[in-house]
Amino acid sequence: MSAGLNLLLVASAALFAVGVFGVVARRSAVIMLLGTQFMFMAGALGFVAFARFGLGAERATAGAAMALFAGAVAVAELAVGLAMAALIYREHRSFAVDADRG
Amino acid sequence: MPLIGALPQPITSASLVFFVYLVLIVLLGSALASVLLRNTLYGIGAFAASMVLVALLYLAIAPFLLVAVQLLVFTIVSAALLIGLLRETTGLKVSSVGRLSPEWIIGAAVCAVLFALLALVLGATTWPVRVCCALSESFSGVLSTSYAVGLAVLAVILGSAALGCGLMLAAPTLPSPRGGGSTTPRGARR
Repeated sequence: MSAGLNLLLVASAALFAVGVFGVVARRSAVIMLLGTQFMFMAGALGFVAFARFGLGAERATAGAAMALFAGAVAVAELAVGLAMAALIYREHRSFAVDADRG
Repeated sequence: MPLIGALPQPITSASLVFFVYLVLIVLLGSALASVLLRNTLYGIGAFAASMVLVALLYLAIAPFLLVAVQLLVFTIVSAALLIGLLRETTGLKVSSVGRLSPEWIIGAAVCAVLFALLALVLGATTWPVRVCCALSESFSGVLSTSYAVGLAVLAVILGSAALGCGLMLAAPTLPSPRGGGSTTPRGARR
């Protein structure tokens, strides 16, 4: 039994699917933001997996640097998204993104 | 001479493989719980647990700086932002259990012991970093030399995001025809 590129790519795809489910199936803005975070996390995991086990392993720090940048951008996106969620809540007293439908 | 070199070997150490599988299974469960739970606070807790588990996974396959940043910066900032949002909007319910009750003391003691054990294992053996993560290049050195422009762009992005958040939250909310606007309850105005 071993743990290599295939295992981590499958896990990354599963994590991305969980994120897509959170964005598509839930109405709460907070849960949708968490879904996007999971999608970012899945992408970063793919970068790290390729850097460790793929052809880029001779320069493994490149994939890790990409993961670092992706994580920082994800945090920035979360901050802006949460500010938007706070505005939605102030307007509609709810985190539901389709609260405007009436 | 082949154009493409041989791929690096997968992890075969039994303990490390078990560690990776365990972390991945718990990570996926935690991520699912995060998007499925109805209680937003529990969802945020599961999300923070997922971030910690990703950091543990990076411990086995990535440079240590990435582990530290994921664990100490991304996890804490994300959880703090989410909990701050809840405090500003729906509010956090005060626990019915007192802060000095036996439940809290036992939970804090167990957490402290587990963290101390983790720190002891990492400090004494550097497992699994030593087993799997022996990179020849210094990650922080590569970041500051090869990715200096990227780091500067990242600083601009983070600064812009912080500025945008501050401006959005500070802007007055227009009164809606369906109600809303101020967050203070109407009954409190006299």
